[in-house]
Amino acid sequence: MNSDLKPRILVIEDDLHIAEGLKLNLALQGYDVKIAQNGPAGIQMWREWRPDLIVLDIMLPGIDGLSILRNIRLEDEKIPILILSAKATTDYKVKGLSYGVDDYLTKPFSLEEFLLRVDRLVKRASWSNSESDLAQGINAEETERFSFGNNQVDFKTMTADCKSGQVRLTEQEAKLLKLFLLNPGQPLSREKLLQIGWGYTKGTTTRTVDNFIVRFRKYFEDNPKNPSYFVSIRSIGYIFYADPDDKAE
Amino acid sequence: MNRPNWLIHPVFILVSSILALVLSLFLYIYWYIEISSGLRSIIDRFNLDTGQFLTSQTWVVILVLTVLVGVIIMGIFIIFVYNLKTLRLYRLQHNFINNFTHELKTPVTSLKLYLETFLKYELSRDDQLKYTHYMLADTARLSNDINRILNLAQIESKSYAEAFNLQNLPEAIEQFYHSNSHLFRDCDIKIHLPHNRAYFYRIIPSMFEMLLMNLFTNALKYNDAAVPRIEISFHEKRKKMVIRFKDNGIGIAKAELKKIFKKFYQVGRSDDMSAKGSGLGLYLVDHIAKIHKGKIIAQSDGIGQGAVFCLILPWRH
Repeated sequence: MNSDLKPRILVIEDDLHIAEGLKLNLALQGYDVKIAQNGPAGIQMWREWRPDLIVLDIMLPGIDGLSILRNIRLEDEKIPILILSAKATTDYKVKGLSYGVDDYLTKPFSLEEFLLRVDRLVKRASWSNSESDLAQGINAEETERFSFGNNQVDFKTMTADCKSGQVRLTEQEAKLLKLFLLNPGQPLSREKLLQIGWGYTKGTTTRTVDNFIVRFRKYFEDNPKNPSYFVSIRSIGYIFYADPDDKAE
Repeated sequence: MNRPNWLIHPVFILVSSILALVLSLFLYIYWYIEISSGLRSIIDRFNLDTGQFLTSQTWVVILVLTVLVGVIIMGIFIIFVYNLKTLRLYRLQHNFINNFTHELKTPVTSLKLYLETFLKYELSRDDQLKYTHYMLADTARLSNDINRILNLAQIESKSYAEAFNLQNLPEAIEQFYHSNSHLFRDCDIKIHLPHNRAYFYRIIPSMFEMLLMNLFTNALKYNDAAVPRIEISFHEKRKKMVIRFKDNGIGIAKAELKKIFKKFYQVGRSDDMSAKGSGLGLYLVDHIAKIHKGKIIAQSDGIGQGAVFCLILPWRH
């Protein structure tokens, strides 16, 4: 957190009028604001600029907001994210919340309410950031360590203990692996894996995903030719089973 | 991901009912032959007069039964296809409601946001002007959306009140561009006027304007180029006049070229939120072209290659 500086807010919103209106108001409240008008630009700006809060639209060109949210959550569990969307059904709210959004406002929204919620989110984030690292370390434990079968994965040290001993995971491997481990039993399409795992779609083919799966199988499967954890679904993509017995259902 | 049940369901019903019908046809014929041969053996045994019992020919009976069952199967099939179409339309309409809500909510959100900002802060005159223009643009967008819905009803019911009007098309298009130039400020729009040539055609001015507006805004909306460009040119082809609207936009995949004129159809999918807008624009364009006795076709070399929309009107010297 940039405690001596203005808190930074990234607005990912494709409608220029709304984006500028938000920027104007947030700037008047004393925030440093930047706008990204599409998904890939939003993810890039989040990486480079390191904002303290993200205001996120769902319907976006390039990559949709929910995929952006999941992409960010793979790397950063803590950054407060507020969804601001015209999608008002409970379905979307539940989806957003289950992917780890902190707050959800539907358009059209009340300016006052929006500003107060933003204020609260930024404040709370600054408190939790100043708490002792020890407490966070324990909390983080749950989402940093996973085990399935005879395999253990530790995202903190970026290592995996598997049948061939300890393997050092690359950053991209770790991200994709985490995506699978957080969504056991859920089919994930190659496109979604690309969007969420890499944060972009252009210039990468879905083959890339397949190559990573081959590596995962080599690391973790007892028999990579007949996988029981990272299973292909024809014409869709892949599914991860934490417990291969679940498959039978 | 998991395919909806309705698709598998009607197909299953269709197949099983056709199988049942075919089976029953087979049984009708089988029993008929069985019974008539039994009857024949009785006739033979008791030496009765054959003409009394077996007047009709076996093959005629089989033929009639087959034709009837064939008609029933065809009927089932037509109902099935009709049902599929209704379901498709229903799904598209659902998409439409989803996307159009978004389309309506966006300008309302923006308007509300700026009005509340004006209430909350004393902005400088320059800022006020800037944001007031934003709000005006939003109201224009809203009223466009509303008009599109109203026009749709009007065009579909063919109850347009306005009369046809003889106009020089190149002039009409130029006129349209000049009166709406504020909408196309950062774009490069070229109208290649034909030399010493007037193309008079009977049009309904407000409808024709709607057609142009849709073609123009599409060319600019689906465009990633730094400077969006539209080139309009006029061509004569035998007994036809072709007006070409060429843009440098994102282009259209081959498979989509015809579909884009369907009602509620949108390139992109609603489940990954890549589809936006109403899915009505080109449907209206197509209808308006038909009202003017012409047609509209789309051409594109594929994604990233730009697109050409040709308005083809019947025309004689």
